[in-house]
Amino acid sequence: MSIWSKFEAIDRRWIYLLVALSVIIPFILPVKFPVYITPESQQLFEAVDSLPENSVVLLTFDYYPSTIAETEPMSRIALHHLFRKNIRVVTMTTVPLGGPSMAEQVTRELAAQYGKVYGVDYVNLGYKANYVAVLKGLGSSIEAIYPTDNTGTPLRKLPLMDNVKNYDDMAFIYVVSDNGIVDYWISIVNALYGIPVGCGVTAVMAPKFYAFVSAGQMTGLLGGMKGAAEYEKLLGRPARATSGMDAQSLLHLLIIALVIAGNVGYFVNLHQKGKNV
Amino acid sequence: MRTTIPVIIAFLSGLVLAVSIFFRPEETVIGRIEPELLVWVTIIGGFTLFLGAVSITRVNYNAVRRLKKGWVYNLLTLVSVFVMALPSLLPASWSPLFGDAEGSIYDWLFQRLDKPMMATMFGMLAFYIASAAYRAFRARSAEATILLLTATVVMLWRVPMGEALLRSINPDFPDWINTYVMNGVNMAVQRGIIIGAALGAASMSLRIILGIERTYMGKQ
Amino acid sequence: MMNLAESLSIALKKKSKKIPVLINVLLFFLLSFPGSVTADDTTGSAFRYERLNALVIVVVFSAAVLLYTRWARQGRPLFVRKIPGIDAVEEAVGRATEMGKAVLFIPGLQELDDIETIAAISILGRVARITAQYETPLLVPVRYPLVLAAGQEVVEQAYNELGKQDAYNKDIVRYVAGEQMAFTSAVNGLMMRERPAANIFMGAFFAESLLLAETGNAAGAIQIAGTARPEQLPFFIAACDYTLMGEELYAASSYLSKEPLMLGGLKGQDFIKIIIVLLILVGVILVSLDIGDWYYKLFEMA
Repeated sequence: MSIWSKFEAIDRRWIYLLVALSVIIPFILPVKFPVYITPESQQLFEAVDSLPENSVVLLTFDYYPSTIAETEPMSRIALHHLFRKNIRVVTMTTVPLGGPSMAEQVTRELAAQYGKVYGVDYVNLGYKANYVAVLKGLGSSIEAIYPTDNTGTPLRKLPLMDNVKNYDDMAFIYVVSDNGIVDYWISIVNALYGIPVGCGVTAVMAPKFYAFVSAGQMTGLLGGMKGAAEYEKLLGRPARATSGMDAQSLLHLLIIALVIAGNVGYFVNLHQKGKNV
Repeated sequence: MRTTIPVIIAFLSGLVLAVSIFFRPEETVIGRIEPELLVWVTIIGGFTLFLGAVSITRVNYNAVRRLKKGWVYNLLTLVSVFVMALPSLLPASWSPLFGDAEGSIYDWLFQRLDKPMMATMFGMLAFYIASAAYRAFRARSAEATILLLTATVVMLWRVPMGEALLRSINPDFPDWINTYVMNGVNMAVQRGIIIGAALGAASMSLRIILGIERTYMGKQ
Repeated sequence: MMNLAESLSIALKKKSKKIPVLINVLLFFLLSFPGSVTADDTTGSAFRYERLNALVIVVVFSAAVLLYTRWARQGRPLFVRKIPGIDAVEEAVGRATEMGKAVLFIPGLQELDDIETIAAISILGRVARITAQYETPLLVPVRYPLVLAAGQEVVEQAYNELGKQDAYNKDIVRYVAGEQMAFTSAVNGLMMRERPAANIFMGAFFAESLLLAETGNAAGAIQIAGTARPEQLPFFIAACDYTLMGEELYAASSYLSKEPLMLGGLKGQDFIKIIIVLLILVGVILVSLDIGDWYYKLFEMA
């Protein structure tokens, strides 16, 4: 049995070891390759960039802590963009575990950097169960669904919410998500209320949404950490996503190498079987 | 009776919600019923959490009591459930350790244990994707070969190192992938599946509303 | 109990006295509510005319499903193509029975208000009938309490109907964890400890799809998956033996039941699909000829 034929059945533990090394090594020995912008990221950036000052954007934290490596850089760079343009931000989440606290933590941290005041420049609505009902309900009355914000303050005591009663008072919805809620933001909120929805989603989910971008139901799309890195580049603020690009690059190359090795082994064994017959 | 009433409720609720999108909520009674029904769903959903707590406790308690194989894990689950839940249910006014605000026991456990554990589980995907791709991508047929080649160029395109490599072959290569693979073949396939699935979902919803499909209630 | 579609169908056929009752119910909803528009409403636009196109689609779709259901009741033969993934369900349970091991069924990771979860619960009912028949152990971990309640009801009914009450245990369907990754790690642990011979994943899955399917693969189980989430299909295809794609998930329950009434719904759906394909083709031609603006507007929904 030649060494090539062994490539067809590499023990999965060797694969795991190689994956671990390919993720760790770039953090020790970084190589900076340029990040190129895809049209979908450009579209989202331009949609936000063209919003007038003081308009209201709903930014969602629809993700679990498990995917923060991919999703949190999107929320951060979105907030940088929104606060820099003096756009008022309402945040919310449809994810019970971690969603409210992550929204609170990230928004407060970045608001402090830009000198934004809670209740005037931004509000965190927090979480409410049953997302379909919540998404539909916000179209009629935000206060009916969220009588209070995330910390229990009644909405009527928050000046920002005086003029923000439902989707009609919002200019854009910026969804950052790692789950199926994106479908509902499109099929319920964009379809029924006509408000533009732009999304940042995990890399696995992104291919599905090209159809929605093309159909105009979604205004721009960020796919995974690469999408976040593109947005960071567009805003001129390279941050976490950009620094993760080396590890992701090497991992993709490793997977390609493994696929090639597997096929080499497959054909060598096929050839040998042919000889034996 | 056990089936008749739920079927009638499903019919009426489904009809109200389906019809309501064709009427302005501020001007019709049906428009006011819809948000009301949605609030009910939220309330009922909240109450059912209790069912989950009962189930998880019963299953794990029985496993520990009978010292079933792996009972230590069941014990750990029970301890985790109560250590995480009880302090968060107690009012924060009693102690800053209670409730779920920053500095509480719940928040400490969530930030320092739960969050990294969840990220670890998600991170394991990288290992599994590599192993599954290695096993699945074999050029066994013409279709499999096309799939393999497409996957390879898309994987290269999605990372800066790979994109630089593709650009060195032809500067327009990444744009071709975006135009012809992602916005072409990929989009066509996704649309096909999405339209098919949407019709399937609509057909299933109609069968449920009309009471043809009752297996979700345990009826044939 | 006779279901509403049957009642409607029979009522229309026999022109019985049920017609006024049923029509009254429909009229009550369709007409009396918008009739409550206030007197000073001069626009008279309680009805959203801009959504008339959607209403037409709903009516045509409903009519097609009802019509085919009626034909199915009348005994017209309906051809439904073979779906290997669904046929494999029985084979997988048989294998588990032979090996004396359990069948693991996961009805997705979404709430009960998601139609994929309802489809999964319907399939669970069918699978539970097979496991009850062979007295094969069944494990159903769930993520949401409402799914727990529905799952327990469905499985209990299946065991009762086959007279296997003794084999039924309330903990067959069990709540595991509300958090996605906690659920995944608990189920992965279950797979490695209990080593079920067959894993059936039906419903809405997300990032955990590959984590579950790869673990099941490593544990040597025969695996059947079904989801309407296109983004998760590649993972299931890579790691499972059979995969139901998109609408096949919704068809599975009807297909397994082999009841004409249920299959009629599938045919109605296929009829609409043909109409949609034709509409798309017409649209492509008109837009390509640059005369399709009016046609495009027909399908816009405000």
